[in-house]
Parts: sequence; structure tokens; C-alpha cells
Amino acid sequence: MKKLLAVVMVLMLASSVMLTGCSNNNPSGSSPNTGGNASKPVIGFIPMTLNNEYFITMVNGAKKKAAELGVELKVQAGDQHANAADQLTIVENMITSGVDAICIVPSSSEGLAAALKKCKKANIPVINLDTKLSEDILKEADMSVPFYGTNNYEGAKRAGEYVKANFKTGTKTAILTGIAGQQNAADRKNGFIEGAGDAIQIVAEQSANWEVDQGYAATQNILTANPDLELIYCGNDGMAIGALRAVKEAKKSDQIKVIGFDGISEALNLISSGELYGSVAQYPAEMGILGVENAVKLIKGQKVEEYIDTGAKLIIPSNVDEHQEYVKQFAE
Amino acid sequence: MNNMINRLKKIDIKSITLYIGAVLILVAFTIICKINGKDFLTTSNIQNIIAQSSVIAVVAIGTSLVILTGGIDLSVGSIVGFVGIFGGMLIKNGISLPLTILICIAVSAIIGLMTGYIVSYGKVPAFIVTLGTMQIIRGVTKVLTSGKPVAGFPDALSELTAFEIFGIPIIIFYVFVLYALIMFTLKKTKFGRRIYAIGGNANAAKLSGIKVNKIEMLTYMLAAIFSALGGILLLSRLSYADPNAGSGYEMDAIAAVVIGGIGLSGGKGKAGNTLVGALILGMLKCGLQILNVPVYYQTIIIGVVIILAVYMDKAKERKAE
Repeated sequence: MKKLLAVVMVLMLASSVMLTGCSNNNPSGSSPNTGGNASKPVIGFIPMTLNNEYFITMVNGAKKKAAELGVELKVQAGDQHANAADQLTIVENMITSGVDAICIVPSSSEGLAAALKKCKKANIPVINLDTKLSEDILKEADMSVPFYGTNNYEGAKRAGEYVKANFKTGTKTAILTGIAGQQNAADRKNGFIEGAGDAIQIVAEQSANWEVDQGYAATQNILTANPDLELIYCGNDGMAIGALRAVKEAKKSDQIKVIGFDGISEALNLISSGELYGSVAQYPAEMGILGVENAVKLIKGQKVEEYIDTGAKLIIPSNVDEHQEYVKQFAE
Repeated sequence: MNNMINRLKKIDIKSITLYIGAVLILVAFTIICKINGKDFLTTSNIQNIIAQSSVIAVVAIGTSLVILTGGIDLSVGSIVGFVGIFGGMLIKNGISLPLTILICIAVSAIIGLMTGYIVSYGKVPAFIVTLGTMQIIRGVTKVLTSGKPVAGFPDALSELTAFEIFGIPIIIFYVFVLYALIMFTLKKTKFGRRIYAIGGNANAAKLSGIKVNKIEMLTYMLAAIFSALGGILLLSRLSYADPNAGSGYEMDAIAAVVIGGIGLSGGKGKAGNTLVGALILGMLKCGLQILNVPVYYQTIIIGVVIILAVYMDKAKERKAE
């Protein structure tokens, strides 16, 4: 028993040394006894998850800006899927740990009322990135929260307009959407449909929950039902990569073009190699940068822009190199 | 004589390993946070930790009962999500809060009874049945609102958990009251003792006249009821219902139960210790977040603690061999 207890003690000690090591790396050169730097502002940064490249890029943009401005950045995200309960816990713990401002990508537009109220009570300014908080929630929390992000609808519309300009009328099209009920999933679908107008004839529409494997399976089924399909538009690149694989396996790469959304690095590679037709790129790094920059202003009591559209662009073979150059600076 | 005292000492330490572990983690975080200039051991943070662990802690009460009989219930997380959406819809339709809670508990109890019936009388393995109900209930939840969340609730809903008594949020009292209730039931009632008897040896229990099937079925009903209570707490805490809420809670609940020392084979362990298990998980999450440990490392550390806790718990059995 004593041995076991000793083992636990040693493990505790080891992990404590490790943890202290971790957290002391960030504020370089500060002595551990001073209890942190009181003068250095601390910004809490909460992406929706850290399980996909989009948010990792956003965090890298934020980190870069934080280093430049000399502020400390604390990044925390839920361990599994995005969910409101995890985000509330993170906000509570960030308040306890004494952050001066919080940048957050809400897991859903309506789920953060309780967390916002706590921020307001603790007098911590909040900046909303990427996914806009609903007006009702802001009213309920009685808070004004600046929003920096892309309008998904406009980005999708741009992809639709490109299709309208480059495809014949009545192109047989399948659409893979994200999780049913999510606002961005609906925006990415409806924007595309509006932009494309009569250029597309929708023969199939399926939700593949943003996932590669589900995009793959859904496309296989769609191809069985519609062998004469000509275009697949996907609400994110993950589903597009899945769709592409199914198209390739069906040996229909010449017949069917696939368009994705997000412009993740694998999608850009596939556009370069000519396999993927295009992808709507957003600028997550820009959101991270703007978030940190303006959070610092809020901490200093300065005014900030209430809304900035960070833009979206359809990446196609002709501009993919340029975009890859830009993205590289935010890759780890 | 000396030998005997030593032996007694050893036994004592063994039975309180869990508490030593919990205190060690608490002390470790307090010290590490202090070194980093943060406060961990404050009244408000302790309240935070308990409130953050409350949903899992309450759900894990039911999971404890099921596991004590040697069963397993994977559907508890889905019920948490279901109650959020279903209860949320009732409230939105003007049903009063107390009535909503009653309806949610009643509907969940019926779901639990059906699950329990198939497991105990139908003799289908619990893992399979609840794997199925987990997906069925999640699907039904999404059908209810076409996958959309429900939001915009009256303040009374969040007051249900946020209301403070002597500066302590009432949600903390709920957790302790529910645990007191279940500890009493397990220790002092026939029903409680029978649960242990079934988990220890179902055949022997049957021969001694215990209605094994009925008791087993009731534990699944109770698991569903406690999950419903957890779902209501979550709904109130967030004032928001998401159809995906509670995903993975079955695993967190099982983790809390096994850290607390209840063996998966059933018959052994204390439900009260499940609360300690849930609080250990809550402390880890809170402390690691305050220290700003990256989320990937957090999952690694939590995984290690789960295994370590059970490893320590099994020390006695290993020695006996």
C-alpha cells in the first residue's frame, strides 16, 4: 500500500512539475514567485472546438497577434463536439482564472445566455467571432458584443454565382448540407441556391453532418439514384473530400464536379491537383487577429467596431497558389 | 499487538484511498495554481466545480444503481438531451415548470421501465439494449424539433438552479440531497440490499426469494429518472436546450462510478463515492482549464486518472491473489 501511495505522490509531483512547466512557458522570463504579470492583459480565447483545421487556423492567427501585442492568450475548447455546456464551464473557469476579456465562437447562436450573464457580472468584455450570437440572447444578457466574422450566406452565394456563370442551365446538382438545424448549415445551402439560380437543378439533398465519412456514404447513395449527376455542392470541405472519393470510385470524375466550403489545406491541395473544382474560403485567421486586437482595445477602454465582415472568396485553380501562400503563415 | 495495529492501519488507508486521492488532487491544484498566481481553493471556485459536476453527478447516481446489479446503461446521455428538448418544448407551450418536471420524469420513467423490461425479462444483454435505446432516444429528440435547439426561456427556469441560499447556489443542495437519499436507500432499505445481492450473485439472490427481474427492471427505471433530473438541471443551468446535449455523458457517468470504486461486475461499492468520482472529474477539468493546459493534454490526463483510480482500487484483490 505504501508503495502505491508513493507512486501516486510521485505521479502527482511529476505532473505538477510538468504543469507548472507548461504554464510558465508562455509568459517568458517571468519568475514563478511573482504570481503572474499583473500588467500584462490576459485574453481568453474559446473556439468552437480544436478538432478541425478551421479553428486551429483561427487560434494561430490570434496567437500571432497576441505575441505581437504582448498579451497573454489562453485558449480552451471543449474536448469533444462543440456544446454549450462545455463552453459555459470554460467561461466560468476563465473568469475564475482572471482573464481580462474573452473572444468566443459560440457552439450555437442561442446557447450562451448563462455564460454571457456571468461575463457581464464579472465585468469582462466579450467579442463574438465566426458564428453570430442571436439578438435575443444578447438582449437577455443585456450586453453589447461586437461580431467579427463572415456572412456564410454571402460566401455561399458567391460560389453559386460562379456556378451560374460557368455551368449550363439545369445542371443536375446534389447538395450535401451540415447538421440540420444549424444556422450556418442553412445559410451555406440557401446562399448557394440563390446565387446559382436556374443554373442548377437540385436532384438530391442530404445532410452529412459535416463529416467526411458521411459525405462519402451519402454521395455513393446519391450516385446510385442519380447516375447522370453533374455537380455536387458541399457545405464544408470534409464532406466534399468524402464526396470526391465516392465520385472517383464510381469513375465519374470527368462527369461530376465537386465544390466545397472552408478552403482547408487538403481542399486547396485537391484544387491544385485539379480534382476538386473549387472551395469557398473564409478567413478564420483574420477573425482571430481582429478578435485579439479589439479585445485589447476593449480592455484599455477604447471603442471598437461593432461588426466587421472578414470576407469569403471562391478558391479555384487560378487563384489557389496565392491563397496557399497566405494560409501558410498561419499553419503551425 | 503491534502487528494488529499495523494491519488495522493498512485496512483503514485502503478503504479511504479514494478520499486521499481526491484531497491530493485538490491540494496539488491549489499549490500549482498558487505558484501560477491563480486561486483554486476559493469558496466561489469550489461552488463552480460542484455546479459544473452536478449534471454528471446526478446522472451517475442512476448509473451506479445499474452497475451495482451488474448491468450497464448507455442511454443516460440521450435521456439528458431528450429531457432538455422535450421539457423545453413543454415550457415554451406554457406548461408550468413543476408540471414540466413531473411530465419529464414520468415519460423518462416509462422509457426506463421499457428498457429494464427488455433487459431483465427479455434477457437481452443490457449493453445491447441500451446501445439501441441510446440511439432511438437521440433520434426521437431530433425528430421533435427537426434537430433545432430550443431557447428563450423565462427566468424562472434558470432560477431553478441559480437561486442562492446563504450565498450558495441551490443546485449544490440538490446534488447532496439526491445523494443522501440514494445512500439511505441502498443502506437501510430492502430494495437497496437486494440490489447488492443481485450484483453479488444473481442466482443466489433468486434462490433466496428475491424477485431479481423486477429489481433489475426498477434500476433501469431509476437510471432514466436520475438522467431526467440531470437533464432538467442542465436545461436550467444553460437556459437552452440542444438536441445533442448530453452526448458522451454515459461515459462520463461510468467514469465517475468506477473512479468511485463500484466494480463493473456489480455487487460491490458505495453510491456515495460516485459523487467523489464525479467531483474528481470536475476538479480535473476545472483545474486544468484554470491552468490553461491545452485541451488535448486534458483528455490524456483525465484518461490516466480514470485508469489509475481503478488500479489503486484493485490493490486489495491483487494482494489477495
